[in-house]
Amino acid sequence: MKTILILEDEPFIAMDLQFAFEDSGVQAVVAVSCSEAFTALDRHAVDGAVLDVNLGQGETCEPVAQELRKRDVPFVLHTGDLDRAGEALRDLAAPILAKPMDAEAVVERILGLRRSCEPA
Amino acid sequence: MHRGDGDGTRDTFEQAQHVAKPFSAETDNFSGASGLLFEQAMAQTRMAVCLTDPRLEDDPIIFCNKAFERLTGYRQEEVVGRNCRFLQGPKTSQKQVAKIREAIRSEEVLVVELLNYRKDGSTFWNALHLGPIYDDEGELRYFFGSQWDVTDIHLARAEERHAKAMAREVSHRLKNVFAVIGGIVNITGRAMDARPVSGKINERIQALGRAYEPTLDEAAFGTIEVGQAIRSVLSPYDPEGDRIVFEGNGARTEPNAVSAIGLTLHELATNASKYGALSNREGTVTVSWHHEEDRHGRQSLVIDWKEKGGPPITAKPEPTGTGFDIADRLLAFSRGTLDRIWEGDGLRARISLALRS
Repeated sequence: MKTILILEDEPFIAMDLQFAFEDSGVQAVVAVSCSEAFTALDRHAVDGAVLDVNLGQGETCEPVAQELRKRDVPFVLHTGDLDRAGEALRDLAAPILAKPMDAEAVVERILGLRRSCEPA
Repeated sequence: MHRGDGDGTRDTFEQAQHVAKPFSAETDNFSGASGLLFEQAMAQTRMAVCLTDPRLEDDPIIFCNKAFERLTGYRQEEVVGRNCRFLQGPKTSQKQVAKIREAIRSEEVLVVELLNYRKDGSTFWNALHLGPIYDDEGELRYFFGSQWDVTDIHLARAEERHAKAMAREVSHRLKNVFAVIGGIVNITGRAMDARPVSGKINERIQALGRAYEPTLDEAAFGTIEVGQAIRSVLSPYDPEGDRIVFEGNGARTEPNAVSAIGLTLHELATNASKYGALSNREGTVTVSWHHEEDRHGRQSLVIDWKEKGGPPITAKPEPTGTGFDIADRLLAFSRGTLDRIWEGDGLRARISLALRS
């Protein structure tokens, strides 16, 4: 796994995750909104993603999640509000990681996710 | 005054007046003592009651009691001969009305809540109970309707929903705050080349966050259930859910005690993960909690920690570790103690906290 997309509107959480990915030798691209995330997806070949569910001002990560699903890119939802993850996102059946979660644990989960999808 | 009745209300009313025979306990199957009892009970009950006659056109009311008059503001002579729907208004749910219609059609018993209107136009939530009454031959004679004002219950429910929504919002924000704090601590530790320290700080902060998280709903009641906080603090140390056994009832304590309990349990669990029953694949920890009363009648909360199946303990570990030092001091502030006994098969620990009476 070479490149990960982090969609997160809280800079400290994004930065913490980015460092944790870099520790594992993975490049992490950070986006704070869906439109930034789509730009990032155009520029980088992304192998996986961590998506914050609520991006502020009512925006959710759903469009990005749909796009990743279309491209067959594995992702996890990272949220502090499990109830409000929303029906649409629940239908995507992606793993949900409850905030707060240690950044290293998040990295571990997503790297493990990728491995289990790859052919042995 | 025409509330959803449409045209012809007046006609139906007039018509029914001519046909509707006022209900009488004497002639309608009640006689003598039972008739008297029936009338007295009807007059005295606080439950509003009315009877309708489905054999007459538009199923008009033929009887209502005093409580019905008090609840709705209508007098008996104003309602006899009319169909009950005059109690409905613009905000009455048509879905509920349809249920009533269906129950009457199929002669079934129904309990339904709907918004009704008094004569003066004010509204009340009505828990309506209706059902058919048959005569000796099994023929449908009346419909029975009892009305109960449940407005206060509805208000309480709305307030409860509001309170729950608020608690959820606070909980969501608190989790985010703890996530951000975690990020700041990690980034700072990295920048200052002190990652082992920042890691420890973060573990304690997050344990504290977990201890408080499930208490938000209840903190308003003044006390919180200990078990929820205990489970929540310890959950990360038992990802499979088969190493820590919880035994306890709904014992409660003050929200302020949660910090000390949360951090102490965190230290015990960290210690168990490194050296004790959670450091191998077989060990288990039993955590139990209960209230205890000493001989002076003072209540305390006791949490017992019992490890089993860990690596054998050959010598008593160093008397102090920084983690336990912090726990001891914190507990002292809450007039509590942490006793530790290193038995051969594992650590026994007891957290004891005085409860304010």
